[in-house]
Amino acid sequence: MSRHKISLVVNGDRYEVEVEANRTLLQLLREDLDLTGTKLACERGDCGLCTVLVDGVPTKSCLVLAVEVDGRDVTTIEGLAEEEQLSPVQRAFIKHGSVQCGFCTPAFILAAEALLKRNPNPTEEEVKEAVGGILCRCTGYRQIIDAILDASKEK
Amino acid sequence: MPLPKFDYIKPRTTEELSVALAEHGADAKLLAGGTDLLVLMRDRLVRPKYVIDIKGIEDLHKLSWDERRGLTIGAAVTLNELIASKVIRERFSVLWKAVDTLADPTIRNRATLVGNICNASPAADTAPALLVLDAEVEVVSAKGRRVIPIREFFKGVKRTSLERGEFVKVVRIPNPPDGARGDYLKWGRTRGEDLAVVGVAALVANSGKKIMRIALSSVAPTPLRIFEVEKIPKGGGSVAEQISKAVSIVREKISPITDVRGGKEYRIHMAGVLTKRTLEGLLEAN
Repeated sequence: MSRHKISLVVNGDRYEVEVEANRTLLQLLREDLDLTGTKLACERGDCGLCTVLVDGVPTKSCLVLAVEVDGRDVTTIEGLAEEEQLSPVQRAFIKHGSVQCGFCTPAFILAAEALLKRNPNPTEEEVKEAVGGILCRCTGYRQIIDAILDASKEK
Repeated sequence: MPLPKFDYIKPRTTEELSVALAEHGADAKLLAGGTDLLVLMRDRLVRPKYVIDIKGIEDLHKLSWDERRGLTIGAAVTLNELIASKVIRERFSVLWKAVDTLADPTIRNRATLVGNICNASPAADTAPALLVLDAEVEVVSAKGRRVIPIREFFKGVKRTSLERGEFVKVVRIPNPPDGARGDYLKWGRTRGEDLAVVGVAALVANSGKKIMRIALSSVAPTPLRIFEVEKIPKGGGSVAEQISKAVSIVREKISPITDVRGGKEYRIHMAGVLTKRTLEGLLEAN
């Protein structure tokens, strides 16, 4: 199997790593870089829990090869807070009780960050559309949507 | 579960891609968005020795339109790039609508239109739209190039008319006839991400030249254009009569199967319902 030297930025830090061709971005983040905030679940693009931002764009990291992110900029949930200061979306999730088991939370927060950057004042429909690729099995969608709408007012 | 082992190749030009495919064709799979390929590989349904990533080829990222030639969509253009296109939204509304129903927005950041047709699922959402728009598929190999009309592209479940060593470079779509309007209605089990139980694309014009074209997904081994409805406008009659004729022809010409998403009888029923809704929306609004 081929091996590839890649260079990427994750949460502002540059990494030079060598990966085997069949390594996914999700494995690279969790197993090689120890960034376990990104969750592994269905591994087939259905649940969206492995969502990270690649050059600011929400991406299901189980369906991306690590070698494909050579030269790209990746943001995971670990990259949002500045020092001890949580991002407005993270604070809104706490305020609205949008976290139950927490397994889907990193994905929802990253998708919301990307949405609000692109569209600072989304409608409820636009919020639903933007997070449509992510499943919450505690079914706390109402609180999640409320938190994202609230964060948009704060930004 | 880890993906099976393979070698990764990233050509920079279409010539390099042709050479790689000529050499490894039988053992190679092309990678664009990866949203189908990586799932198939993880399930061990395909086991390529070589995965050839086409995203390094600048030519394949082109999305362009002009008044004379219509729309050209490169093999690496993502579905969200199509959704962002004003010209597609305004002039190719049936395609825009189909792309907007495919999977979910995060998948659409990676998935491509060309990948959707090359995967050749009977449920491919973009296929009925391409069928009613008379799209053409430009195919390249080390031996040269050829153009395949989309109506000859799908050969069976997950099978296309692509031969070993060939790849799709672009899909071209001529401008729809003047006055034509189109729509795609998809029936899924949920409003969110799901494959179609039935999908119906229609393109109609009822001023000037009269046109009625209908194509469906998830009702046969391949996406299906129902050519028999196309003479309906010539036969005259009220809009309601024409729609009712189209519904009975569609119900007769499809051959859906029963699977986890729906029974055969339910699919035939819903194909009729969606055909009626799509045509009513397009013809009665006028």
